[in-house]
Amino acid sequence: ENVDPQKTAFLLRKAWTLYSVTPLYRFHRARLRDYARLLSAFIAAEKQKGLAVEVGVELDIKVAVSSLADLRGSEQDQAAVLVQLSLRSRASSRNSEDKLVWLGWFCSVYGDDLSENVPEDFTCLPLFLTHGAESYTSMVGSWFQKTFDCCFRRLAISPLNLSWMVAMWAGCKLDRAASAVELDFSVPHLSQPLDISYAIHPEDAKALWDTVQKMPGEITQEEVDVFMDCLYAHFHRHFKIHLSAAKLVKVSTAVASAHCDGIVKILHSQYLPGVLMLLTELAISQIQ
Amino acid sequence: MDETVAEYIRRTVLKIPRDEIKTMLQKWGFLSEAQLQTLNFHQRKDNISQDVVHLCEENSADIKQAAILDITYNHFYQNKRMWSVYQMKKSGEELEFFDITDFKKKFKGRLRSALKNVTITFKEYEDNAIWIRVAWGTPYKKPNQYKPSYVVYHSQTPYVFISASVLKSTLPLLCQALIVASNYHDIREMELRSHSLNSLKDIVFKRYSQNFQTYYPKPLQGRNVEPENADIRIVQENRSEKERIHRLNWEVFGGGPQPKLEFAQYKLETMFKSDPKMGVLDKKEPFRCLVKFSSPHLLESLKSLAPAGMADAPLSPLLTCIPHKARNYFKIREKKGLFPESFVSP
Repeated sequence: ENVDPQKTAFLLRKAWTLYSVTPLYRFHRARLRDYARLLSAFIAAEKQKGLAVEVGVELDIKVAVSSLADLRGSEQDQAAVLVQLSLRSRASSRNSEDKLVWLGWFCSVYGDDLSENVPEDFTCLPLFLTHGAESYTSMVGSWFQKTFDCCFRRLAISPLNLSWMVAMWAGCKLDRAASAVELDFSVPHLSQPLDISYAIHPEDAKALWDTVQKMPGEITQEEVDVFMDCLYAHFHRHFKIHLSAAKLVKVSTAVASAHCDGIVKILHSQYLPGVLMLLTELAISQIQ
Repeated sequence: MDETVAEYIRRTVLKIPRDEIKTMLQKWGFLSEAQLQTLNFHQRKDNISQDVVHLCEENSADIKQAAILDITYNHFYQNKRMWSVYQMKKSGEELEFFDITDFKKKFKGRLRSALKNVTITFKEYEDNAIWIRVAWGTPYKKPNQYKPSYVVYHSQTPYVFISASVLKSTLPLLCQALIVASNYHDIREMELRSHSLNSLKDIVFKRYSQNFQTYYPKPLQGRNVEPENADIRIVQENRSEKERIHRLNWEVFGGGPQPKLEFAQYKLETMFKSDPKMGVLDKKEPFRCLVKFSSPHLLESLKSLAPAGMADAPLSPLLTCIPHKARNYFKIREKKGLFPESFVSP
């Protein structure tokens, strides 16, 4: 549970695209370097086929696959696996640094619901997060699918789950001055589309949540509903618009932000495990 | 020709989409028709702009002409810029005769007495709009032609539309020069901003179709909310409600097209009120929020909310007041006293 903030600093303040992944068949942690080599060869072959990602200069893709021992929830969870793609220019000398172009990592934080029920040969890492060009994601995903017979799906986040997130995160205690609690709605089916951004001062949002939540440490659906209804009612009082009928598309707080297309940004290391746990849960329910 | 002028002309031409370059150069009017005929508009833009620069060299273009090209470009693509509206105030009621020469002289005089290095350019258009372009320098540096301010002034009105330079410190001086030149004594920024310059004009010049709150008995019977269904088995359940909404919308927004705004912003500092049964927040301090509405055509979008079932009709006055209050930035505080449900916008 105690994650070294140094090791996880790279996770913060990046927009991660989320996928659910079915369990990997015959994935062996001892063979990570082999996997890196094989994935590298696969990518080179894909580029030869004409699916090049870079035009112009010929560039080598260097692949690194590593284990992140600390990134897990319980002992039952598998440790996270990180894949890094870097560009190394052929023209460059030895001292030039490789440029990191793509990051992806598999993880499971309290994913017991899934791991309890799978046979031994399978490794459960239901949540996959990527940062970088879609073309690389596609190649890495294809290789994993072929090699470990697993299936990737974009993880959409429903308005219901987004409301959970905003309620939870609005209630988080933060030592520094926090950014606003913002909800972004979209009303697409009008003659002219309308976007509504509703940002609440973080102290006021937290004060509201504190009066709604009955037991600290526990959140119920009813409490989330009350919280959201309060926000909708306050909005309706002013604008006579039923915000509940609009589509909740994105929520942002000082802790993290999440978009319904399955894109998440985590801003605070203190709440990293909590956020990952929630996302793992979403990934698992998409798989099952 | 000065090489900074050449470079500026080259870069300005590069900004123009290839299909529009010839028209733009014709509107500019600096190169003759014969010269324009020599240009090949089918080559790469890089080459077109180089050729234009050569022609300008033949005509010994200076910064004045280059500035007019820039005004021409920005007049054509005025909606690329963000415009703010300012209102000037006169001390007396007298309508003085507007003398454009006097205006220009005073404007230039005021700016140049404060700042030696400025490029000031005027261009008048048929709709009585005077476009002014100012490029700002310092006592030691020549004006930066790439960060100018643009002003649009309709001399028969107290309104000025400004697309300010990113060099923010220049704005007060610009405002001062405007009131000096136009014989007003004060200028204030209105809470009204948009990319659509014409819509801003529509709003402050009241050129859009408004409805004055007269009651229309039996309104719009002839105008059906939805086309009649041929199948008589289909019955409109909420016909009267639909018609009520339609009528209220018409009363508020009028029948004509709305001015085109892209956003409205509300800073709310009102109290949070809830059903006491809910047992939630009951603070004596405001519930601070910032609400932003955005749309390619905001007012049309708001107009369609009630018919779509997304909002009550009539729509909140906070939204419907936008055109006639001529503002799209608001700060809303609780109104104390008799009507706790109403709001005050300072």
